[in-house]
Amino acid sequence: MHYYLLMRLLLVEDEIDIQSFLRTSLEEAGYEVEAAADGKTAERLAIDGEFDILIVDLGLPDQDGITLILKLRQLGVRAPVLILSARRSVDDRVRGLEQGGDDYLTKPFALAELLARLRNLLKRNSPAGSEATRLRVLDLELYLLRREATRAGQVLQLTPQEFVLLEYLCRNAGRVVTRSMILDKVWGMRIQPDTNVVDVHIYRLRGKVDAPGQQPLIRTLRGVGYVLKDR
Amino acid sequence: MFSKTAKPALRSAAWRISLWATVAFACGTLLVFIFLHRFVADDIQRRSDAWLAGEIEVLGDVAEQTPMNALHDRVVEEVAELASKEVPNREASASTSNDSVFFLQTGRDGSLTLWVGAGNGVENLKAIQASRILPDHPTHLRVQGFAIPFRVASTRINDGSYIYLGLSERDELRVLRSLGLRFILLWFLLVLLGFGIVFFTTRRMLSHVREIAEAASRIGHSDLHARVPTTRHNDEVSHLALTLNRMLDRIESSMHQLHTITDSLAHDLRSPLTAIRGKLEMSLSAAMQVEQADPIVSAIEELDRLTDFLNKSLDVAEAKADALRLNRVPLDLDELLRIMIDLYEPSMSEKGLQLRLHSGGPLTIEADEALIHRMIANLFDNELKHLPAACTVNLRLRVEDAAASLILEDDGPGFDVEVLSHLFERRVKGKESNGHGLGLAFVDAVARAHGGSVAAGNRDGGGARISLIFPRAANEQAKAPMAAIHRAS
Repeated sequence: MHYYLLMRLLLVEDEIDIQSFLRTSLEEAGYEVEAAADGKTAERLAIDGEFDILIVDLGLPDQDGITLILKLRQLGVRAPVLILSARRSVDDRVRGLEQGGDDYLTKPFALAELLARLRNLLKRNSPAGSEATRLRVLDLELYLLRREATRAGQVLQLTPQEFVLLEYLCRNAGRVVTRSMILDKVWGMRIQPDTNVVDVHIYRLRGKVDAPGQQPLIRTLRGVGYVLKDR
Repeated sequence: MFSKTAKPALRSAAWRISLWATVAFACGTLLVFIFLHRFVADDIQRRSDAWLAGEIEVLGDVAEQTPMNALHDRVVEEVAELASKEVPNREASASTSNDSVFFLQTGRDGSLTLWVGAGNGVENLKAIQASRILPDHPTHLRVQGFAIPFRVASTRINDGSYIYLGLSERDELRVLRSLGLRFILLWFLLVLLGFGIVFFTTRRMLSHVREIAEAASRIGHSDLHARVPTTRHNDEVSHLALTLNRMLDRIESSMHQLHTITDSLAHDLRSPLTAIRGKLEMSLSAAMQVEQADPIVSAIEELDRLTDFLNKSLDVAEAKADALRLNRVPLDLDELLRIMIDLYEPSMSEKGLQLRLHSGGPLTIEADEALIHRMIANLFDNELKHLPAACTVNLRLRVEDAAASLILEDDGPGFDVEVLSHLFERRVKGKESNGHGLGLAFVDAVARAHGGSVAAGNRDGGGARISLIFPRAANEQAKAPMAAIHRAS
């Protein structure tokens, strides 16, 4: 599972504050990070070095982020790109890139979400392995075809939606998922409710997964999100 | 006058213009035809009078000069028979029997001395004696037993007797009738043609106006690149189009400026927010005590609320200026509401609230997915925050005219009376509310950006009611209302 340890990442971001904390967090997450503060430097770095993935901010001082990405594509850079945007609306060209396999994230974002999107991009670009029909995290097992989950052999009574939520947590076991990631992946919407709707779903799921006396698997990280423990 | 389901052609100004133009044209041509008809009738009458005058003169001469013997009557009869063969306007296929002309001679005592024509002439004589017929002056005469009147000329001959020559007006009337029939047919065709031409041309001209109006209405909502179509003609319509386009150029440029301002504002605020959030998160990830983590966690939560507030205020600001940019896709409101209810239901039932959807099935609109998601989340968040326990929220989704109607009703305390009149303004919120007062302003902004509308108020029986109208996708046809009831509990 630690295939991302040696990933080389090019970070193109002109705001020094953001660049520095992103570099630190990405390095902590196991990426080898090169950073550029403008389009020219980014072009040079991208052509010289082989990168597995790129993070490009749209608002660069010397050129538009999209122009840079299109130029890099023409120069033969195939690595997937995560676009960072502080703009209000999603540009049509960003949509085009999204359809081409790239992804975008609006500022400000949660680090966990940035990391998750990077992982997804890398996974999409790596040769597809055979799709598992069963997920296993410690004594929790999910049978994806039957849509059935067991904990220590006991079948859990889950609603279809709870199963999808648990599946998402399992696929990201050991990693933090944020509320907005859950809303995006499980309910398919990028919204920021100012009520605790996701938390209530998690409480209910936890009530079914973590029976009294068992080791609690679903952990809340306040201010960040949730994590399904895998050890 | 015309119902909404009538053909658009009946509602267009072209229809009215051509109707009035046709009425005027029809009256004019009708007058012309009536005048022509009168003219022809007079002319025919004059001709037959001239014939009568000529013939009666000949007959008078013959009657005078023929000796009064046995042959007299015979000769006069022959001449009269011959005359009847030369009747003007006579129908070629008329029968050989002579019923269109009569000849009559009276003696000095007024008795019938000679008769040529159909019948025995008694009625004719009676009619002649009843009316005064002046010599050399053809007169109109109705005879009992004949449907069609005669034109009668008379002359006095030397022996004191009178001769009369009568010509039936049958042929004259036939000619006039057939002329009238042709005139009516021609008039009808002319009116029809006139209507067609006027309707076609005005419709063509007005279709340019309609195209301009349609293009202009599309432009109103976020799409400012489009321009109204211009024509090659140098007329008022093309002038209108050009003026509109020049106006749109100006609006687009100021809209572009507005977007630049909100974009750079968003950018300038978001970049530091991103940096702050990132640093907070990094300091959080290090192992620390709960007491230490708490302030950081609440700082992150505050920051997220601030971001949400920033997004919504900019959206509301842009929508107030009709400048919200939309990325329209087909969106099934029924499906979306079910997903939203699925998302919100646990939180609602946790608070003892019920959420019910009454929907007639799939209802697709063309809308910006992200904005509609946020709008509905906003409505649900409001209910969740403000309703006391044991309340029910009813959602009714249905097709109303050409629009999708979503009505949200609850049986809670309703809106505060003092905010009721300005619910959609920014920064308006109830006394108890802890929100930032953008909720309904944002809902209103999204609805307006999509060409829809929102109304909010209190129900008669208590509780709040918010109704939203969204124009539908054009390809969806109206379906049966309210078929299924979906219980979210």
